[in-house]
Amino acid sequence: MTLMQEFTKGLWKEMPPFRLVLGLCPTLAVTTSAENGIGMGVAVVFVLTLSNILVSMMRHIIPKAVRIACFIVIAASLVVSLELLMQAYVYSLYEKLGIFVPLIVVNCIILGRAEAFAAKNGVAASIADGLGIGLGFTMALTFLGSLREILGNGTWFGMNLFGDAFEPFQIMVKAPGAFICLGLILAGMNCINRWQAHRTGTEPVSIGCQACGASCKSCQLQMAMPEDAKKGV
Amino acid sequence: MAGILKMIVVLTALCGLSGFVLSYLKTVTAPAIEEQVLRNVQGPALASVFAKGENNPIADRHVFKLEDGREVTAFPSKQGGKLVGVALEEHGAGYGGPIGVLVGFNVANDTLAGIGTTQLSETPGLGMRVKEPSFREQFAGAKLPVKLSAQGGSIDGISGATISSKGVIEAVEKADALYKKLKPELVQFWGGK
Amino acid sequence: MDILTIFVSAIFVNNILLSQFLGNCPYLGCSREKGVAVGMGAAVIFVTVVATLFTWLMQHYVLDPLKLGYLQTIVFIVVIAALVQFVEMFLKKMVPPLYRSLGIYLPLITTNCAVMGVALLMQRKGYDLVTSLLYAAGYSSGFLLALLLMAGIRERLDTCRLPKTMAGTPIALVMAGLMSLAFMAFKGMAQ
Repeated sequence: MTLMQEFTKGLWKEMPPFRLVLGLCPTLAVTTSAENGIGMGVAVVFVLTLSNILVSMMRHIIPKAVRIACFIVIAASLVVSLELLMQAYVYSLYEKLGIFVPLIVVNCIILGRAEAFAAKNGVAASIADGLGIGLGFTMALTFLGSLREILGNGTWFGMNLFGDAFEPFQIMVKAPGAFICLGLILAGMNCINRWQAHRTGTEPVSIGCQACGASCKSCQLQMAMPEDAKKGV
Repeated sequence: MAGILKMIVVLTALCGLSGFVLSYLKTVTAPAIEEQVLRNVQGPALASVFAKGENNPIADRHVFKLEDGREVTAFPSKQGGKLVGVALEEHGAGYGGPIGVLVGFNVANDTLAGIGTTQLSETPGLGMRVKEPSFREQFAGAKLPVKLSAQGGSIDGISGATISSKGVIEAVEKADALYKKLKPELVQFWGGK
Repeated sequence: MDILTIFVSAIFVNNILLSQFLGNCPYLGCSREKGVAVGMGAAVIFVTVVATLFTWLMQHYVLDPLKLGYLQTIVFIVVIAALVQFVEMFLKKMVPPLYRSLGIYLPLITTNCAVMGVALLMQRKGYDLVTSLLYAAGYSSGFLLALLLMAGIRERLDTCRLPKTMAGTPIALVMAGLMSLAFMAFKGMAQ
């Protein structure tokens, strides 16, 4: 694949969390407004791109047995740097995102890309991959944040859209709205996939952990489960 | 054997490097972080405590050392170049965690200039209401010591949020004790009246 | 605050999964079967409580005295990762029956943000050690409860005829949303 393809795959084909169901916790938690969505997305782009660069640079030095530990140390150091920089320059955003800034460490996107991509590819390709996936994540979060903010608050980036007569669906900016919105978006994604597959006559792309190759191993557990439990997939 | 050695060397080097970079970054960003925290946390509270100040209390802040080694940051308010008020931050026990209150004192007659909350994690709609002007403004000009009206004082607590109201009073009392201790130093430092 | 309030607050009102959004990945991964849900939930309770204990001690006896608070994130994740490894080895050697039932879930927990999230929340709220441990137990029991409820529903869903586009993750998320809506009714019972 060319660098451009590595970059653009993150924007649609492997866009987290809509295509690769990764990094759900921050997706659900911080998307109460479009602005928070962008903020979280940019934070993830920062950590993901740098972690991809570092992992890719050190991929020949790191012994296989302790690679996960090394990835965690790299990601954690980057997150601490991010926390310091955010506190120093965008304090109000740092306050709003709360514990989800330090929790970027355990975001499966970071470890997943380190393991599945950066540890096997060169620096340039890893940068393209990190930027692409990160940007895709940012777009997804901004989209979800906009949807929730518009419906739940009647505003977009703080601008009032509908005037005073609009009665917002307050549930959208609360916890249930996050789950339901994301669920419906994923269903929409599924629908598009099936339609595309039908048109080209191929198998539909599956949405879910199976496509990611991350180190969180949740997939192994699913695969280890009895066949009949998987019927609903 | 060589494998294990390599593992240890790589991990140690990685951790050392990360520690080094982070401590460097910490020193570089420390002043900016302090400034940001003060502006975002104490700033709004200070603005509600000293409405009429002519100086920037954050820029003019000074750290005083107590006898027991504790360090206290005091924020002065000046008018016409003279010290008129001092604000100190203290904490009281609330319902959802500590309540941080910035307490302003009028230097001239030792009354309260006002209060502003800096840290609050109370129940929305109940304890959170201690930051509303209707509760807060009762403190402006009040004589010390302050008490809730239930205990024979002049401050009406928030109904249904006694613990939060008491937490604020506790913080004010603590700040008052601190202010009494520090007053000579404060006045001397900023050269008040 | 008395123990009951803490538990009601942590399990129902502020359910870690349905109102704080922590631990969603295992939630979607391990909620297809009740047995798996109980196993995962039990492992999370165990690790969360132990991790909270160690991170609390670390914060108050190492990081705070040395003024290294900014390293909190990195220290916590390393403590949790090491702890999970250690617990796995310990159980394998000393309590094989427990290892057989919880063992496969342990490696998944390092990247479970519920564990790290609870440890961080306790520090942000500034609770003392005993309160922190009680909250940790409460939050992780809430996780088990949500996982178990969800598994019960999803076992039924498997026998339902669903639109193909909704099957799998989308319906799981919508179900979670409805459950979260139900849990909102607990608001006001405790803080």
